[in-house]
Amino acid sequence: MTSAPFLHVDGVSVTYGKTRILDRLDLGVAKGEFVALLGSSGCGKTTLLRTIAGFSTPTEGALRVDGRDVTRAPPDRRGMALVFQSYALWPHMTVAANIGYGLKLKRQSRTEIATRVDEIQNLLGLNGLGERLPTALSGGQRQRVALGRALAVNPDILLLDEPLSNLDARIRLSVRHEIRALQRRLGITAIHVTHDREEAMVMADRIVILDAGRIAQQGTPEEVYNQPASAFVAAFMGAENLLQLDGQVSGSSAAFSHPAAASAFTRQTGEETWRSGAFAARFRAEAAVLCAAGEARPDAHGMEFQGKVTSVSYPGGLWRHAVTIGNDSVLVDAPRCLPEGEAVRVFIPTASLFLFPMSEASSGMASTSRSDGFSAAPGQD
Amino acid sequence: MPGSPFPRDPFFPKIFLSHDLLPHDLLLGSSPVMPRYSLGLALVLPALTIIVLFFIVPLTASVIGAFRIGDGFGIGNFEKAFSLYTADIIFSLAVVALSTLLIGLFSIAIGGYLVLGENPRAVAILRWLYRWPLFIPFIVVGQILRTFLAKNGLMNNILVGAGILTPLQTTGLLDWRGIVIAFVWKQTPFVALLVSGAMASIDRGTIEAARNLGASRFRILWEIIVPQVRGTLSVGLILSFVTMMSVLSVPLMINAQSPTMITADIAFRINSYGDYGVANALGFISLILTSCVAWIYMRQAVKERM
Repeated sequence: MTSAPFLHVDGVSVTYGKTRILDRLDLGVAKGEFVALLGSSGCGKTTLLRTIAGFSTPTEGALRVDGRDVTRAPPDRRGMALVFQSYALWPHMTVAANIGYGLKLKRQSRTEIATRVDEIQNLLGLNGLGERLPTALSGGQRQRVALGRALAVNPDILLLDEPLSNLDARIRLSVRHEIRALQRRLGITAIHVTHDREEAMVMADRIVILDAGRIAQQGTPEEVYNQPASAFVAAFMGAENLLQLDGQVSGSSAAFSHPAAASAFTRQTGEETWRSGAFAARFRAEAAVLCAAGEARPDAHGMEFQGKVTSVSYPGGLWRHAVTIGNDSVLVDAPRCLPEGEAVRVFIPTASLFLFPMSEASSGMASTSRSDGFSAAPGQD
Repeated sequence: MPGSPFPRDPFFPKIFLSHDLLPHDLLLGSSPVMPRYSLGLALVLPALTIIVLFFIVPLTASVIGAFRIGDGFGIGNFEKAFSLYTADIIFSLAVVALSTLLIGLFSIAIGGYLVLGENPRAVAILRWLYRWPLFIPFIVVGQILRTFLAKNGLMNNILVGAGILTPLQTTGLLDWRGIVIAFVWKQTPFVALLVSGAMASIDRGTIEAARNLGASRFRILWEIIVPQVRGTLSVGLILSFVTMMSVLSVPLMINAQSPTMITADIAFRINSYGDYGVANALGFISLILTSCVAWIYMRQAVKERM
């Protein structure tokens, strides 16, 4: 983070009635940066975006753009334009009128408006659609008109409220890249709200993961993916397999054991302040290696568990095995199909095994199971 | 239904469902069709009878009556109606048109404040208050306003008492202005109810998107909200227009002078002269006027269904 962010959310809290949606949240966004606000429904990401846009007023804290306090400024005096999830196009106006309305409000001349509308239509590939009504457009075209309407007024900051969630899955993939390329080309600062992890990873320079009105972690896509700071972030970033380990901490190293583990596993504690006790181990299905009986495991540092295949499915690319380890069930991907009932070993390399003390993990787990349908294995809470 | 030449595709337009029991099937004599056809007819019959007996027959009789002179037919009743009541016809149209315009403006203002108002308490009070006149009959509205708007009525007494007017400056509003006030007072809640419902159901994002780009509340109301509820607004205004054209009590209570509204003239022709011919002619003229706006309504409804 730079010392003077372009957009500075400074200790902002927002409450609706007695519910606190945002809790003294701090966030800085640099000029030209693309930031994704990622979280499950109800985590406060849309409220944060609407607060930045000026549609919700903070109960405490301040918002600054380029050093200027905009906490109480009306939405149009913040140099921001919001693209709505529903697109919110005006159904009675043509595409050109939708795009040009912001300029009309700024009392620009008709020729200036026409020129700018043409420019935007060219930029977004909407040529020839200017006289159509929004109802005569496809979802992708509507989305581009909504984007064009926001870009037409040359905002300093572009706010995107789940702009892709109403598109077909296939179109969504290409529009992601289009928006990202456009943002780079224009050098515009963008804040993008999404609940789609992959979308955030592909589009953003920095991902800010929100949980219960606070920032759970922020960093580059690689950082939050490979070094999750909490069990919640790990689960949200796809490490949904959960095993409970017993950890004995002595000095700067810790030894972890599990009834089904082939041998104890030791790891440096690093910067964490760990105490002996129960630990949550989280890992991704594709990060684990599945070894059949008698097969050698990869020659690397990691932890190995004994298990049994209970079911197999083929989601594409790799075979997905449900493996029972002790009382828990985990999912492990393998390039080949192992039959149901086969005794196997599951090996997880150190770098892919995310460990968190259970006391801390339980709070994260509670919000995970609530939010994205992942249910923690029995006996973990 | 076996043997039907019409597809039973659920996406097939509903209107064909009534067509698929047409003579086509009956001519084929397929036995299962007959009972269903008779059953359908039996179900419709009571409603149809009532419409024919109580609506179509009297209406036709009235229209025929308008053209009947003695034992023959002619346009004598209309000539008489126009020579006596042209001023009243224009008066009626002008009063109802002005009322419709004002009702439109007030209901947009009320609906707009309910949607855009930023003071929650004021919005709640307005929401609670504006519907009251809906439950008051026209005759009572006329009665209330007669005592309120008269030269020595409550309104002038209050204004004199407050020192705003002297007794010499007071004027009664018991003329066309009184009728307009009564109509607007009574009909605005009805249109505002329809319009505010439509306004509440439009995508709030379309309002916020305009605010985001810097539109004032007035511009949002006029350029974003009203165009989206245009259909509902025009339906409400047309229904109000037709209702006001048929009100007898208000002109009788408030405007006991000439020119007055067609309804008062019709009542006068019948009650004082037993002159059903001219009364029918006036009724027919009134029907033509309301039919014109009803036609606009129908066109709107068809366009919306497309």
